[in-house]
Amino acid sequence: MSTLSYPHDDPAVRPELLPGKRDFRGITRQVSGIVEAKTPTGWKLAIAFTLSVLMILFGSLFRLVTKGTGVWGLNTTVGWAWDITGFVFWVGIGHAGTLISAILFLFRQKWRTSINRAAEAMTIFAVMSAAIYPVFHVGRVWFAYWLFPVPNQMQVWPNFKSPLFWDVCAVSTYATVSLLFWFVGLVPDLATLRDRADTKTKQIVYGILALGWRGSHRHWLNYEKAYQIFAGLSTPLVLSVHTIVSFDFAVSVVPGWHTTIFPPYFVAGAVFSGFAMVVTLMVMARRFLGLGNLITIHHLENMNKIILATGSIVGYAYGIEFFTAWYSGNPYEKFVFLNRAFGPYSWAYWTMVSCNVIFPQLFWFKKVRTSVPLMFVISILVNIGMWFERFVIVVTSLHRDYLPSSWTYFKPSLFDISTFIGTFGLFFTMLLLFVRYLPMVAIGEVKSILPAADPHAAHDHTEARHES
Amino acid sequence: MSTPINDASKARITSLDPARAKKLVGAATALLVASVALSIVAALVDRQRFAFSYLTGFVWLATIGLGALFFVLIQHLTRAGWSVIPRRQLEWLTGLLPASAALFLPVAFFAHDLYHHWMGPEAHGDPLIQKKAAYLNPTFFFVRAAVFLAVWSGLSLWFWRTSRKQDESGDKELTLRMAARSAPAIILLGLTLTFAAFDWLMSLDPHWYSTIYGVQVFSGSAVSSLAALALLTLALERKGILEGITTVEHRHDIGKLLFGFTVFWAYIGFSQYLIIWYGNIPEETVYFRERWEGPWKVVSLVLVFGHFVVPFIALISRTAKRSRFVLGAAAALILAMHYVDIYWLVMPTLGERGAVPSWVDVCGLIGPLSAGLLVIARRAAGGPLYPVRDPRLAESLQFQNT
Repeated sequence: MSTLSYPHDDPAVRPELLPGKRDFRGITRQVSGIVEAKTPTGWKLAIAFTLSVLMILFGSLFRLVTKGTGVWGLNTTVGWAWDITGFVFWVGIGHAGTLISAILFLFRQKWRTSINRAAEAMTIFAVMSAAIYPVFHVGRVWFAYWLFPVPNQMQVWPNFKSPLFWDVCAVSTYATVSLLFWFVGLVPDLATLRDRADTKTKQIVYGILALGWRGSHRHWLNYEKAYQIFAGLSTPLVLSVHTIVSFDFAVSVVPGWHTTIFPPYFVAGAVFSGFAMVVTLMVMARRFLGLGNLITIHHLENMNKIILATGSIVGYAYGIEFFTAWYSGNPYEKFVFLNRAFGPYSWAYWTMVSCNVIFPQLFWFKKVRTSVPLMFVISILVNIGMWFERFVIVVTSLHRDYLPSSWTYFKPSLFDISTFIGTFGLFFTMLLLFVRYLPMVAIGEVKSILPAADPHAAHDHTEARHES
Repeated sequence: MSTPINDASKARITSLDPARAKKLVGAATALLVASVALSIVAALVDRQRFAFSYLTGFVWLATIGLGALFFVLIQHLTRAGWSVIPRRQLEWLTGLLPASAALFLPVAFFAHDLYHHWMGPEAHGDPLIQKKAAYLNPTFFFVRAAVFLAVWSGLSLWFWRTSRKQDESGDKELTLRMAARSAPAIILLGLTLTFAAFDWLMSLDPHWYSTIYGVQVFSGSAVSSLAALALLTLALERKGILEGITTVEHRHDIGKLLFGFTVFWAYIGFSQYLIIWYGNIPEETVYFRERWEGPWKVVSLVLVFGHFVVPFIALISRTAKRSRFVLGAAAALILAMHYVDIYWLVMPTLGERGAVPSWVDVCGLIGPLSAGLLVIARRAAGGPLYPVRDPRLAESLQFQNT
C-alpha cells in the first residue's frame, strides 16, 4: 500500500466533526452562556446601530405610505425595479436555512448541527425582510390583506391565475413551516434555559416557551418523529418557493424573463446566496461570540463547497441562456442578452458575472476555502452579485421594450435606496435579538454527534453527564 | 437487528460463479447477434421509422449510462460511505457509455434521415435555420458527437479501471484521486450531456428551443439509472449472490433516491410545460401541441401517470422502499417509462404515425438493449461484485437508516 499524500485525509477514517475533548456540560454552558452573560457593550452598540438603520426603513415606508409608490424611481417602462429585486434577494437568502435543516438532514450530513439553528433563524428574518416589499408595494397598505383570498360581500378575489398570488401562498407557507420547524427544534433548548434561569421572569418566559418539556424518552421520541416529518415537508418547499418566484417572471412573454430554465436556476441561485449569507454570519459569530470550537473551519469549508457547486450551476444557467438566445434565432431574445452584456447596464451585468461566476471559482483552492478572511470577502461578493442578478433580470429586460420610443434608463430614487438599506436594519436587529435571547446553536443536536452520545464509541463516561 | 455481515467464519461471495457468468455473457452475445439481424431487416423495410426507433433506443441506453456516471461521480465527490457496495453496480452501468460510442455509428449513418430539416437541402430555404447554421451543420455536429462520446467513454473507463485497480491493491490513495477528479468530471458531464441533448434530440425540430432541455434530459437519466441500479441489486439478491452484503438499508436508500428523482423529473417537466403553456407563444407551444393531439395524447398521459403519479404514490412509504417487490416493480416501471419518455421526445417528429407503436420500434430498441446487457454481463463476470478493498467498505456494510 502506498503512503497517502494527505495523511489527514485517510478515507477509511471519518474525521471527528468537533475535534478535541468535548463533554455535554461544556456545550450546554458555552451556548447558554451567550444568553446568560451580562449584556456585552459590543452588543448594545451593535443594536443601537441596527435600530438606527431600522428607523431608516420606518421613515422610508412612512414616506411611501403617505405619498404613494411614486416616491420610488419607477416609471411607465420600468414598473418593477428595486422593490422586486429586494424581495427576491431576501427570499433567496432564506433558502439556506431550510436546505441545512431539511435536505442536509435527509442526507445525513451531521455537520449541519452546529449551524442549523442560526441558519433557520436567518431564514425567518430574511423572509420577514422580503415580505416588506409586496406588502408595501400595494400602496394602500391598509388593504394589504387583499393579497389573501378573503371572502367578502363584493366578491373581489385575487387573480388565481397570477403567479403573484401563487407567491403569496408559497411564501406564507414557507414562512409558517420554517417558523414551526425552528420553534420545534428550539423546545428542548428552551427547557435548558428555563432550568438554568436565574430570575423568575426568565424562568416563566422560557418555561412557557418550552411547552413543558421534561426531556423524557417519550418527549424525545415525539421530537425525532416531528423533526423527520418537518424535514420531509420542508424539502419540497426549498424548491417550490423560488420556483414560484421564478414564475413571476418566466410565465410572462417578456424576452429575458420568459425562459424555461428559470425554476431550477432560481433555486440554485437562492441556495447560493443563502449559503453565502450563512458564511458571512458564521464568520462573525466565530469572531464575536467565540464559537470557533463549534463552528469549525471544516464547517465553513463545507459551506464554501456548496457555494462553489451552486455558483457553478448559476454560471451554467447564464451560459445556456446566452447560447439559447443566439440559437433561437429570435431577434428579441438576442437583443435582450446583447443589451445586458453591452448595453447601458453592462456595468451591472459584469458585476453580476464576476461576483457570481468568477470569484466563487476561487473556492477550487483549498487555501481559499479554508481562509477565513478570503471566504468572508467572497461570501459578501456573492450576495452583492446575487442582488445584481435580480436587478439585471428585472431592469434590463424592461428598460428597452418593443417600442424604442419608450426606452428609458432606470435610476433609483433616494427612497428605493433607503428602503433597501432599511431592510438590513430589520434583518440584523432581529438577528441580534436572536443571539441575545435564544440559544444560537442547537445544544441538543450538537450533543448527539459527540462520541459521548454514541454508546459504542470510546469515551469517558463523565463526558456524557448532563447538568444536574 | 444484527445482520451476519460481520461473521468472519461465513465466507463472502465476491464474484459470480464462472459457469453462470459464462452463460450470461453467452446469452447476451446471442441476443446481440440476433438483434443485428433484426435491425437490418427493419431498416430495409422501413428505413425512416427505423432511424427514429433506433435513435430512441440508443438515447434510452446512453442516458442510463450517463445517469450512472453522474451517481458514481457524486458518490466520490461527497465521499459517501453508505453507497460503496451499490457503487459497483453503477460502475457496471457506466460501461454503457463506451458501448454508446459504438452504438452511435448507426445514428451517424441515419443522420440525414433524422435531422433532414437542417442537414439536407431543406435548410437552404429556411431563414431561421440559416441563422443557426454555424452550430447546426453536419461537420460540427459530428465533431461535437465525437467529443461527447470520447469524454463519456474516457470518464467512465477511468473511474471503472481505477476502482478495479483498488480491488487488487486496496490503495487508499486511489479513493482520494477519484474524489479529486470527480469534481471537474461532473462539470464536463453536465456540459456534454446538455449539448448532446440539444444536438441529438432538440434539433429534431430545429426551430424549437427550450433552455431547460438539458436539465430535463438529465433528470430522466438520473432516475432511470437509479431504477436500473435497483433492478440489478435486487437481481443479485434474488439469486442469493449478495446475500448479507446488500441489505434492506441499501435498498431503502436507493428507494429514497429513486423517489426523490422521480419527483425531480416531474418538477422539471412540469416547469417547462407551465412556462410554455402560460406564455402561449405559438413558436413554443407547437411542441406540446404536437404531443397532445390525436394518439399522442395517450402517450403524454401514460407518461404523466406511469413516470410520475404511480411511482410517486407507490414509493412514498418507508415500507414500500424497503420491500423487494414494490421497489422492484416501481423500478421496472420507471425503466420502461424512461423509454416512453425518450419516445415522447423523439417520435413526434414523425407526426401522428409516430404515436402508434410498431414492430420496428422493438427492433430499434433491441440492438442497444442487448449490447447494454452484454456490457453489464461482461463487467459482472469479470471481477468482484462489490469494491472489496474500498477503504469505506466497512461503513457501507454496517450502515443503517435510523
